[in-house]
Amino acid sequence: MAINWRAMAPVGVFALLCVVITIFNPNFLSISNAIRILNASAIPVVLVMGATFVILTGSIDLSVEGIVALCAVVTASLVLNDTTSANLGLFAVPLAILAGGVVGGVNGASHVYFRIPSFMATLGIGFVCIGIATAALGGFPVRISDRAFRVLTLGRTLGLPNGIWLAAGSVFVAWTIQQRTRLGRYVYAIGTDEVTARQCGVPVDRTRVLVFMMAGLFSGLAGAMAAAQLGQGHALIASGRLFTTITAVVVGGTALSGGVGSVLNSVVGVLIVIVLTNGMVLMGVPPFVQQGVQGFLIIVAVSLALDRRQLQIVK
Amino acid sequence: MPAVLELKGATKDFPGVRALDNVDMQIGQREVVGLIGENGAGKSTLLKVLTGIYRLDSGALFVNGKKRDFRNPRDAFDHGLAMVFQEQSVIPTLTVAENIFLGREREFLRLGIVDKRSMNEAARAELAKVHLDCDPATKCAKLDFAARQMVEIAKALSLDGRIDGEIAILLDEPTSVLERREVKLLFEIVGELKSRASVIFISHRLDEVLEVSDRVYVLRDGLVVHETPSSAATIKDLHKHMVGRQLDHQYYRENRQLEKTGKTVMSVRGLAVKGEFDDLSFEVAEGEILGLAGVVGSGREALARCLGGLLPPDRGEVLVDGKPVRLRHPHDAVNAGFGFVPSERKTEGFVSGLSVAENMTLAAGSRYSRVGFLKFRDERDDANRWINRLQIRTPSTRTPIQSLSGGNQQKVVLAKWRIVDSKIAVLDHPTRGIDVGAKEDVYELVREMAEEGVAIVLLGDTIEEVIGLSSRILVLRDGKVSASFDAPVGGKPDQLDLIANMV
Amino acid sequence: MNRIAGASATMATTAVLVAGILGAAAAQDLTLAISMRSLSNPYHATFAKGGENFAKSVGLPFEVLVTEGNSEKGLADIRALIARTNGNVCINVDPNDSPDAKTIVDEAKAAGAYVVTQWNKPNDLHPWDHNPNYVAHMSFSGIGTSKEITNALIDAMGGSGGIVALGGILSNVPAIERKLGMEQAVAETGGKVEILDFQPADWNETKAFEIMQAWLTRYGDDIKGVWAANDSMGVGALEALRQEGKAGAVPVVGIDGTDAALVAVEAGEMAGTVAWDPNWTGGMGLSLCHAAATGAIDIASEPQEHREFYGTGIVVTPANIEEFRNRDASFDYNDYWAKSTGQIQYQ
Repeated sequence: MAINWRAMAPVGVFALLCVVITIFNPNFLSISNAIRILNASAIPVVLVMGATFVILTGSIDLSVEGIVALCAVVTASLVLNDTTSANLGLFAVPLAILAGGVVGGVNGASHVYFRIPSFMATLGIGFVCIGIATAALGGFPVRISDRAFRVLTLGRTLGLPNGIWLAAGSVFVAWTIQQRTRLGRYVYAIGTDEVTARQCGVPVDRTRVLVFMMAGLFSGLAGAMAAAQLGQGHALIASGRLFTTITAVVVGGTALSGGVGSVLNSVVGVLIVIVLTNGMVLMGVPPFVQQGVQGFLIIVAVSLALDRRQLQIVK
Repeated sequence: MPAVLELKGATKDFPGVRALDNVDMQIGQREVVGLIGENGAGKSTLLKVLTGIYRLDSGALFVNGKKRDFRNPRDAFDHGLAMVFQEQSVIPTLTVAENIFLGREREFLRLGIVDKRSMNEAARAELAKVHLDCDPATKCAKLDFAARQMVEIAKALSLDGRIDGEIAILLDEPTSVLERREVKLLFEIVGELKSRASVIFISHRLDEVLEVSDRVYVLRDGLVVHETPSSAATIKDLHKHMVGRQLDHQYYRENRQLEKTGKTVMSVRGLAVKGEFDDLSFEVAEGEILGLAGVVGSGREALARCLGGLLPPDRGEVLVDGKPVRLRHPHDAVNAGFGFVPSERKTEGFVSGLSVAENMTLAAGSRYSRVGFLKFRDERDDANRWINRLQIRTPSTRTPIQSLSGGNQQKVVLAKWRIVDSKIAVLDHPTRGIDVGAKEDVYELVREMAEEGVAIVLLGDTIEEVIGLSSRILVLRDGKVSASFDAPVGGKPDQLDLIANMV
Repeated sequence: MNRIAGASATMATTAVLVAGILGAAAAQDLTLAISMRSLSNPYHATFAKGGENFAKSVGLPFEVLVTEGNSEKGLADIRALIARTNGNVCINVDPNDSPDAKTIVDEAKAAGAYVVTQWNKPNDLHPWDHNPNYVAHMSFSGIGTSKEITNALIDAMGGSGGIVALGGILSNVPAIERKLGMEQAVAETGGKVEILDFQPADWNETKAFEIMQAWLTRYGDDIKGVWAANDSMGVGALEALRQEGKAGAVPVVGIDGTDAALVAVEAGEMAGTVAWDPNWTGGMGLSLCHAAATGAIDIASEPQEHREFYGTGIVVTPANIEEFRNRDASFDYNDYWAKSTGQIQYQ
């Protein structure tokens, strides 16, 4: 069926990429490289879980870098570090997630209740977050000295880095919300057809706020993971994450217009983006042409993943 | 001499509906042909086939004796079929001349630059044919509606002498927004057009069609059911062919109309929305079907949207079971027991992309979930129950709703409100654009809902429908109730009485 | 930042009004100011701090202007500051982009303000052509320091083996110079050290992390050393190594002397970094500017090597980190050229 084929297209793109890269460099298929790719994908995967829901409702969240940076700084300041006297260890993680949720809620509330387009609201709030992180630290990083805390991403369980397990857990939670809860159903209904959803009594505004809050929670977790991975928190720790996040969601086949897509698609999207970076180096593509090749491949991936059929006019 | 335009066995299918069924039609040179039919009879589909928006599934289209298969309206235009759109297609920011020759500037190119003077000259010649006295360099935004229509006709006429063969101009409901005086002028122009082109005139005003046309085709349910020279036709005759039946009691299931209705469910008191309707008061009882009649702008559509929570009232109140209810938001209406079936089924009635079951339970709030988690089995069982009960033709509960036919989609929309036990159903054109068989199913459903004690407010697609289904009828005019009729079985009011109060 | 910009714009307007009413320049204190890209990175934060310390030492009002990477904003803020102070101002500026320096110097000259520039300026713009308002230009030798740190890396590797190199944004001048210095140092080993691969990671630690991972797959144990054009990328690569339990096993070097890098050097996980001493560039830049403005030195008569000079980049390795930490970081505000390492050379 044509529709199924479309949904599987990102998987096909991913498989094709893997084959091509392996032809150039068989090391690509090694287990250690697979773990490396999964590890590099961990934080982006956590981020796209939230971003996918936002995009499914037809909105967009551009505050990703801000929230991640703020939450990384929050995390780094709450564990044993060189700047504050806190020592909460792993308890800093739920607090960082909470902080992300609060900012996400502010995103949603300002978008929904003050009727600011999500594009502007989240862009602005993202800057505010970076501003807070900068002002609080005066531009300096908070360096984490708590070795035990860094187990969050550095440690391994069953041979896999913990970051991968956190990402897998996030995917499970997001997938459950998407498939099995009323919230998930409402997200699709609003994204496809807000007017009808509203008419059926779906609490559209509340759902939108919840979705942004959820994106904030995931960004908060990503912030804690980033802090653990790099051993510090600073205002610019997340630079570049926004592009990866949005690209991965779209490459995965979730439509920016809302209503179509899935968190699982976005996981594949992340893998495609990360494998691209990995593959460029493995294949020895000259740096000067890398960006061009990457841009080109992203366009190809999106055009394969998106269903661009005409509006069907049925009388 | 070949016909300018000929259709042979033209057939076009949409999921669940045959929109054109083996249509044969011929438009001779310099002939004015009228095309009439009810909503959903296939007129728009026919036009879209002629202008290349739709492709025929079978059959053929001949233009000036050659078989054609147009790819788009431009393609049709270039071969002599020019459509004057209801929703006009002139670009307001361009000048009259630029609009007339849009896409055909090549003729006026001098060394790659458009020679405005010669283009304006040529445009002036075309404008003269429609007696429009205006400077071709005027921006179209400055013209009134009637003048823009003339620009479109001039654009069509500009094909004359620029292409091989005759031209045919398609006028789709050209009089619907014109004033009396302008209509007269248009008819004069159409009379003159006959010396240059063929005209297909589509209108729902039968008198106009008879006045202008040489010959009339009547479409019903995708079929050409009648074809006659205008001189031999009467309005009454055409109407009969258009509707295709004498008023048939069985059609509207009048035998199931309840004689006695129960207690009052909803009372409307002094309800008003500025600019739409004012000071409306009425009641609807259990099992009662209250028909609302009125022309566009009478306030009845606004009233329906108001009861659906989409248009907050400015004054007055609505009581359900004696208690005043809030209607600021759609979810207020849902909570108060209203079920609203909107006229724009595709854009407002259901969420395409979601499945049949998901659409059915969309309004059910927390009924199919426990602490936010969905209860899939309950949902599926209930959906199956309603699918069987309403005989919805769908492969499964998980089928995306957009792949169903219009009638089956509408049944899902109705089921959605049955599931939440709506006390009051507001049906805004519930049979718009669905085929005859499905219409009858919907009528059955409406009767069934009434029997179960639902109070129904109905905006019918046709006056016959309102009369046939309703047990009481309110006629609205300029936002106020102009008349009220009881419509018991055997004592239905006359159509003309309603119309007299509508205009 | 915007609040500050807005406030300064309003104050500038007020100042112009007041000046207009009085019809004469009001006698006021000399203002000291720093203009730079962002407060969000440690280098610039320290740079501003250095300026503030000097301002405190002479008891003059001090301001920080931030461009946020936007040349227009940077120039507008400087213009407003000059107008507000009637040109009675010293600005130590790290121009957002090289061409900005020319505009800033022109504005300052017209108003009688004094300017010192850092890092970026067009090669044909020289302080001695704009006496006395264009006081000096300070920079660091990208090639020289890069060569030094690369040699430190080669030492840590034991003199031979393959290295992988992370570059900055390909079109940046410092990125180009640092890469050139690294390549020169490698060439001088006569083939004993080989560059396995060079990849730009755009100064970004996350990107460096991902590229380092790919390198581990591609080259595995052939990687004997990692060179990064700045510390952020160096730390990113180090964390990728840590993930594989290889932190400390493969030497990494960076440039900039950030806190994270210094700690890594201390722990023996990085083989070195270069400390720029932004505290000195911030403070000494203003001090020199202040001296020229107040006439403490006749800047126009100073030789060219005192007008365009390199500061000292300190190569910090595990061997000297303790010494570096304990060094006397204070400096004499009046010994202007004590830390100069020579006149700027153009390639």
